[in-house]
Amino acid sequence: MQVSINSESFLYRLYGRIGLKDAMKSRRHFSDYIFKILLGIIIIIICSPFFLILFQVASVGFWQVFGTGTGQGLEFLFTFPGAGLEGGIRNAFVGTVELIAMASVVGIPLSVFGAVYINEYTRPGYMREVIEFTSDVLAGIPSIVFGAFGFTFLVDFLHIGMGIIAGSVTLAFMMIPTILRTTEEALRAVPMSLREASLALGATKWSTIWNVTLRAAFPGVITGVLLAVGRVMGETAPLIFTAGNSLSVPTELTGPGSWIASMPYTIWAYISDPREYLQVKAHGTALALMMMVLTIDIVANLISRKVTRRLV
Amino acid sequence: VTEEKEMIVQQGQEQVPALRSRILGTISQTVHDFRVADKSGKVDMLGRLGFFIPAIASTIIIVLILAFLWYESVPIFVDPNAGPGIIVSPTWDPNRDLFGIAIFIIGSLLCAGIAIGIAVPLGIGGAIFLSEFCPMRLRQPIKSVIEMMAAIPSIVYGLWAYLVLVPIIKNNIAPITQSTTNGLSLLAGGLILAIMLLPTIVTISTDALQTVPRSLREASLALGATQSETSRKIVLSAALPGVGAAIVLSLGRAVGETMAVLMVTGNSLQIPYSLFDPTYVMTSIITNQLGYAFVFPLWRSALFAVGFILLIMSICFTLTAKFFIKWGMKTRGYI
Repeated sequence: MQVSINSESFLYRLYGRIGLKDAMKSRRHFSDYIFKILLGIIIIIICSPFFLILFQVASVGFWQVFGTGTGQGLEFLFTFPGAGLEGGIRNAFVGTVELIAMASVVGIPLSVFGAVYINEYTRPGYMREVIEFTSDVLAGIPSIVFGAFGFTFLVDFLHIGMGIIAGSVTLAFMMIPTILRTTEEALRAVPMSLREASLALGATKWSTIWNVTLRAAFPGVITGVLLAVGRVMGETAPLIFTAGNSLSVPTELTGPGSWIASMPYTIWAYISDPREYLQVKAHGTALALMMMVLTIDIVANLISRKVTRRLV
Repeated sequence: VTEEKEMIVQQGQEQVPALRSRILGTISQTVHDFRVADKSGKVDMLGRLGFFIPAIASTIIIVLILAFLWYESVPIFVDPNAGPGIIVSPTWDPNRDLFGIAIFIIGSLLCAGIAIGIAVPLGIGGAIFLSEFCPMRLRQPIKSVIEMMAAIPSIVYGLWAYLVLVPIIKNNIAPITQSTTNGLSLLAGGLILAIMLLPTIVTISTDALQTVPRSLREASLALGATQSETSRKIVLSAALPGVGAAIVLSLGRAVGETMAVLMVTGNSLQIPYSLFDPTYVMTSIITNQLGYAFVFPLWRSALFAVGFILLIMSICFTLTAKFFIKWGMKTRGYI
């Protein structure tokens, strides 16, 4: 009687519902239960820094980016910094966009065409392995080593000088492995029958690649490009010695007029500055940068999910 | 015997012209093919060449990086006062031409070690949760959050660590052990690195755990093992190569991480004896001093030597990860 009343009660139902009833059966069941709880706590610990960072950046920088007062909102993004670095961050915003655009112009053809060659023209073997291995090595190289290399090779050896060209080519080098490997996977997923049908109709390999294979693999290619752009957008270290810094946008391609600011570099410069109002601007810049990067990342994930869903 | 030798020599002499004529034949055949081809055929042949050059770009870049970093770091390695001994010499003082880089290597390894020590248990736990126990509704949101964590720029991690983590270490953690610090310490570097490594470890390990065949889990459960025993003893050990690759890759990232570590480790030229001592890592010394050093040949060369060592380390980590993947393919057939 006592038991049946207890089993009706709220506490007893809760006891069964959270699994404690099963867990009390034996020592092994109990340790199983503890293990699962521990894993739940661990996943909360893993995810919490994301929200903590978002909170810290947004709590200080929110009104800098979304406010409507003077020097806030769009005005913050689209006015040049004035005396004492008051004003906006147009130099950094435009600089990042220009750097990424030029890096894409150099990096995307290099990596997409490279992946096409590996997948369409070579057989599995020595050459393919070498190229895949080098692109994996390239993906693992620290960003500051890219910066040092860009400094000694592009700036010093080729006499390009610091500025937009050296900076964006260094970023383009960093884009290659991501795009190359993603494009390769996308091309591998294109059914062989599509290529064979095109070749059987008398098309050359060149026109098959352009009109059939690349078109079928397009969503995968775009995913790779977006992931690579999102990755290099937040890179600071390669730009310190190759792009320089500037309070306006570059007016020429070489020489001192081509020095260019970027958003990550601006965050670093502002956060190391003791002046109080620059901290707020650093948070605003960080929030804008994070929003750009995360938007690109989410779009890439959406596209890639659509691709897998369509292929399955 | 001599006749045989003569035969071989003769054959060899015959082979050289044969090879040459074969190469010449291939070239002239290609040229002839190109001349007689129609427009689309010509485009096809030129297009193949146009795809080939980008394909070897990554190889060329690696070779260039190795060549230029080596070329820049040769002066310090052949200098009579410095030599290869700088790798184990602990004194860095460019004003007295002392370029020992041991403290940076120790600082980097300690930082990466602390980060790996924190991130690996947490990351593997998270991966087991995601692949074995996670309710379906929660899996996609958690995965998205972890992927977004991987996308956050390192400078933003640095900003957060500098403004939040460092004061916490100064005011809350250091007093526990009665030590005083300004917060810029080895511990801060290790913690922020651990946070940055977690997404890498979790994503790659989850993928590795999910490739383990379902039949293994079912067999273990049918034998009466609990779910936790199955995931710890069967699934994890079956996915060990993939998890190993994840750990090695994240170790490479830990050693190469620049901005976040630069902002929170305090950058002081000393070997850290406790968690709360400031330290100086390899990436930070390059970032901080290359700008001033490039007019002093020896100083600049020493910094490039640090970069060269970093490069060699990252190549070794990639090789080890590849080895893990090969091992998994060999012993398990999947990774």
